[in-house]
Amino acid sequence: MNTPILLEAIGIKKYYGKFAALGGVDLTVRANTVHSVIGPNGAGKTTLFHMLTGTTPVSAGQIMFDGHDVTHEPDYRRVQRGIARSFQVTSLFLSLSVRENLRLAAQGIAPTKAMNCWHEPEGPRSCAETVASVLTKLGLESFATVPAGNLSHGQQRRLEVGMALAARPKAIFLDEPTSGMGIDDLDDMKSFIKSLRDEHTVVLIEHNMSIVMDISDIVTVMQQGRVLAEGLPHEIRGDDRVRAAYLGNMITGGKA
Amino acid sequence: MKKNTHLFMALAVVLIMPLLMHSGSLASEVLIFGLAAMGCNLLLGFTGLLSFGQGIFFGLGSYTLALTLTRWPLPMPLALALAVVMGALGAVIVGWVAIRQKGTYFVMLTLAFAQMFYFIAYTATGLTGGDNGLLDIPRPSITAFGQTLWPLTSPWQFYGFVATIFMAAFWLLLRVSRSTFGRTLLAVRDNEVRAGAIGYNLKLLKLQAFVISGAVTGLAGALHAMMIGIAPLANADYQTSEMILVMTVIGGTGNLFASVLGSAFYLLLADWLSALWPRWLLLLGLVLMAVSLWIQRGLWGLGQTIGARILGKRGQAIVAATVPGREGEQA
Repeated sequence: MNTPILLEAIGIKKYYGKFAALGGVDLTVRANTVHSVIGPNGAGKTTLFHMLTGTTPVSAGQIMFDGHDVTHEPDYRRVQRGIARSFQVTSLFLSLSVRENLRLAAQGIAPTKAMNCWHEPEGPRSCAETVASVLTKLGLESFATVPAGNLSHGQQRRLEVGMALAARPKAIFLDEPTSGMGIDDLDDMKSFIKSLRDEHTVVLIEHNMSIVMDISDIVTVMQQGRVLAEGLPHEIRGDDRVRAAYLGNMITGGKA
Repeated sequence: MKKNTHLFMALAVVLIMPLLMHSGSLASEVLIFGLAAMGCNLLLGFTGLLSFGQGIFFGLGSYTLALTLTRWPLPMPLALALAVVMGALGAVIVGWVAIRQKGTYFVMLTLAFAQMFYFIAYTATGLTGGDNGLLDIPRPSITAFGQTLWPLTSPWQFYGFVATIFMAAFWLLLRVSRSTFGRTLLAVRDNEVRAGAIGYNLKLLKLQAFVISGAVTGLAGALHAMMIGIAPLANADYQTSEMILVMTVIGGTGNLFASVLGSAFYLLLADWLSALWPRWLLLLGLVLMAVSLWIQRGLWGLGQTIGARILGKRGQAIVAATVPGREGEQA
């Protein structure tokens, strides 16, 4: 896997008071790969995501994305660089329709247009093509006019990923896209994430090891705010330190 | 719902009031506070910002118009425009500071500004007249080339003037609320974290909402000063902020026409109750409790529910109510 480097994080630290949530994490993500970040609860995976996507600022370290130093850019600026994320806990515009959710997400890469007080978001301003293509990918075409709050949990999880997709990002950060999903929806989500690799780079936090091992190109294991190991899925599966960190055989196929 | 329905409803209110009401001043007041409540609604109902600072912009509008008409020989339309600008500028300052915080602290910051503005207005007697306010504001007729086009002497003549401005402002605000900007505000109201994560500069969006809100509230304050002929300290008072907020909530948030209903309901009820009992504000408290407990979507939501029951089309009404604006839910 020798595609160019898209994202490089060096020595990322995050302190909450004296507590070090991240104690100096290095991460290199190559373009058009699925790069999974795994680790036990409290390992700092979501904190790392917040740092990389700009949701919260770093305490120390540097983040290079696509040739730019984005370390001190807020999240909304990084969207324009081509970074988009989904949330572990579903975070949608619940009173707005599915289509409007996606339209807003698609419009977000050109946010100055949102300051237009005069024209309705119709015609060329409606991002109709992007919205339609994401709706198809999510299989939510028939729910386009339904308020996001009225969708089932599985549908909301899919829309959650779709929100990131609608920004047509270079890198898409998915924070536990399958959390709370039923068995029936898991396979769909798995093949869906895998298909994203053709057009995007995927950085994935996931607890479901069968998904991680099947679709990842590379896996980074975190523990207590540091990188414990990194390698190909089969290397990680056989790593003794990783087994020890997970206190058991979760890594070999069980579900967290 | 058809595109211009709300515009026609506003026009209907404007045309019906002279037929049903005796007092042209009360009718003008309904439209003036309707404007102020719409400004408040843009923040509360569309952006999710509970601002106690609306009285500042209202007061700024009143003082600006009074100062311009009594001390400088500027034409009246220009004085109104200046009041709009001052309202907007006030909103830039209040907004710029307040949007640095969210939730309770945002509310506290707007409250702090409201208190400060009141005491500045109270102290700066040279500018504001302090406790007495600014008196003897003229109400010049509208003239062009030396010809009087529209005298504003009688209450109903003034009502016509206010109604024209009101309809223009209503149309503009309706347009803003349906624009790309207005639709993005709804996203901010629904979920700030996500709105930021998909690329929007929340501070910029909120500040622009504040500026528009301040401008229309300043206009309302100026018209109010013109109507009563003085710019009283009360217009800069915290209670003005509260009154505007109460009207907005009673009418229903997230819908501009609802604010006109809120203003009409508040002022007409106040007019009627205050004649019956000097402690009428106590009864208004009960109304506010009823709205908070049972009719959170305000009078507008109540009307929708009743209308839907009568027509037996509940489902349709609910769909109409949810897209594009979620009517009712408050910050």
